[in-house]
Amino acid sequence: MSATTTKARFERYKNLEFILGALLTGGICLLVVFSDLLFPGGGEKIDLSARLLAPFASMDHPFGTDPLGRDVMARVIAGGKISLQVGLLSVAGAVVIGVSMGLISGYYRGFWDMVVMRFADVQLALPFILLAITFIAIVGGGLTNMIILLIISQWVQYARLVRGSVLALRDREFIQSARAIGVKDINILFRHLLPNLIGPVIVLMTLNVANNILLESSLTFLGLGVDPLTPSWGGILADGRTYLQNAWWVSVFPGLAILVTVLGLNLLGDWLRDSLDPTGRTSR
Amino acid sequence: MNKKQRMRAALTALALAGGLMATASAQAAGTLTVASPQDPGSWDPVDTFLVNWASVATNIYDGLTYRGPNTELVPGLATSWEELDNGTRIRFKLREGVQFHNGEPFNADAVKFTFDRLMGEEGKKGPQRSNYAAIDHVEVIDNYSVDFHLKASDPVLLIKLAGYGAMIVPPTYITEKGEDYFNAHPVGTGPFKLASYEPKIGIKLEAFADHWGGAPQLSNLNYRFISEPSTAVAELQSGRVDLVIPPTIPIGMIPTIEQDPNIDIVTTASPTVYALRFNTGNGITADERVRKAMIYGVDRQAIIDSILGGQAAPIASFQGELSFGHDPKMQPLPYDPNKAKQLLKEAGVAPGTKIQIDIRGNDATFNEVSQAVASYLQIIGLNATLKPYETNVMLNDIIPAGKTGELFQQNWGGWTLDYDNTAYFMYHTGEKWNPYDSDAELDLLLESQRAITDRAKREEILQSIAQYTANQALEMPLYNLNAIYGVSNRVHNFTPAPDSRLRLSDVTVD
Repeated sequence: MSATTTKARFERYKNLEFILGALLTGGICLLVVFSDLLFPGGGEKIDLSARLLAPFASMDHPFGTDPLGRDVMARVIAGGKISLQVGLLSVAGAVVIGVSMGLISGYYRGFWDMVVMRFADVQLALPFILLAITFIAIVGGGLTNMIILLIISQWVQYARLVRGSVLALRDREFIQSARAIGVKDINILFRHLLPNLIGPVIVLMTLNVANNILLESSLTFLGLGVDPLTPSWGGILADGRTYLQNAWWVSVFPGLAILVTVLGLNLLGDWLRDSLDPTGRTSR
Repeated sequence: MNKKQRMRAALTALALAGGLMATASAQAAGTLTVASPQDPGSWDPVDTFLVNWASVATNIYDGLTYRGPNTELVPGLATSWEELDNGTRIRFKLREGVQFHNGEPFNADAVKFTFDRLMGEEGKKGPQRSNYAAIDHVEVIDNYSVDFHLKASDPVLLIKLAGYGAMIVPPTYITEKGEDYFNAHPVGTGPFKLASYEPKIGIKLEAFADHWGGAPQLSNLNYRFISEPSTAVAELQSGRVDLVIPPTIPIGMIPTIEQDPNIDIVTTASPTVYALRFNTGNGITADERVRKAMIYGVDRQAIIDSILGGQAAPIASFQGELSFGHDPKMQPLPYDPNKAKQLLKEAGVAPGTKIQIDIRGNDATFNEVSQAVASYLQIIGLNATLKPYETNVMLNDIIPAGKTGELFQQNWGGWTLDYDNTAYFMYHTGEKWNPYDSDAELDLLLESQRAITDRAKREEILQSIAQYTANQALEMPLYNLNAIYGVSNRVHNFTPAPDSRLRLSDVTVD
């Protein structure tokens, strides 16, 4: 097999990865964005006479109904609004802060490195639940506060990851030569360092999106979450837990929604990592 | 492990198994395994107020009085008693020939020791002391009679002596071994004695053959602490657990258990009542008409029939039918959305007015109930939102500090089954659970019944308090939830206890 055909095959596979990822993520996003048009009312209507109907038992409820007789399909699609907001915004915020902090402390080292990293150590030593309860006590609950809390608790992961990679890269020849010919620091950081270390960051991001979608529902227990009347994937999933043995559809469909979203983001992430990788290692 | 060691281990195991079999067949009784949701951490009666302490400890300890599943008060370690000096002194005749598990004799000194300890320094550290605040001191008359001198008469004291802090403990054992040792190695006079206790995992009890009521039918009684309901139910289905006690099984899992031929659901009325109480101090709920409208507007019976699977009874005041002070003639307000709308209109509440319902975040069943309530309120034109709080925050800050929304969740379930235990704490001025109201007339009623020892008269006053609070619509009474037990078919003679204080001495297993 010649080198060119392998490469061509690989390219095709890469394209497939992108197409599938874009289809899954895009599809879910479109459904969620237009959920108000598709399901006016967002599955809010409670009907105690139609509790726990199995999927397709009635054509009005293709995904069945939940313990309060609400349409699971409408709730899953409407629930994406909260879940995607929490999942995507919290990760985006944490990445922006964490990656910048990691780049700065790894590249400049010295005093700021020490300050940032000791601060990170202290924060890692604090259990998440403790942080969450303190946070609620001081600023209160709500969607925005929840996203802020997740950013506060997760930026450290990115900062440490990035700092470690920068330490390994900063004395390599290509950085030194860039510095020698007078490239500005900001360009070194974002043009030369960042693309070389973005791979693991993207992997961590995709993991955290799924994680945070589920965390949203557990934070509701602590009083930080959104109104239980507003559906979210994690919330529906948690509500359906006690009914798993006799009404699997209540938790399986929101679970599938999370699965599809995360799978799509994973595929997109892989594609993005490979396209950004300046060494081209992965495409050989 | 080399070959020789392995051999020895195998032989030891065989010998042990043989020994166990021998003892089991000698008593021909068997082992019952119970799943309990919580490890109370300490087995000392003065240290706890947990229901799941009592569901174990009722087998280890006895009180002077005893109240079984039929909620009738009968003699326990005291054979008889009489009230003297207008109810401020009670004389108990004690049962003779009773022994603690360690061989110590039970007598008047043990009673005095128990209550000196409860009312003294050791009791001060725990939550039980305040329940027995009426006791001034205990006087030993002779070896088998004692006098309880009371600061004021307490009509519920005899019931309180049947449980929790009033369990009789062994004086010599505690003095010699120390308090810390006693916490983990309880000794009482009950039908079962401690075999072993592993914190967070389980506690094993074995039959105490010398119990004054006769030896129990079971030889071993094991409790496993399983907090996750689906795990407990799975263990019950697979036969590794014979009995799952409340509060474990969520309503949603009842059909799963009913479908299984080897296990059953057994339920009984319990003292636990649920209400959405009103913020009577501020906002639209300060108006009695609005409060009544909300009660009329929520179909509580439909909620009971559907979400709660019929495992609850409607209530007209904040007490269940087992409660002393319950008036069977009192009926809950009917579901009448038109009347609700009309009342709201009279009170000048605009349609779409926003209200907030505060709930505990971790209560899955009530979460569904409150969502249904919110949707009913939507129908009569009130735009309700739910605000979940962490349970401790809700109980220690939000309610006592009067920071609730228009409605807030309150569960209550006093094991004494006496309405005083609810009403006084909910409605008397200045109480922790009454952040909004101060009603002199109600205060007077609440105080007056405490000094009365005549049961019929007291019941009448308690009923009038219930009527008074219902007339003012101080809360939206929702339901009285059943105690739900999951039981394996190999268990016989099991009677569910409404208050989870299980004594399993008559139970047998196949």
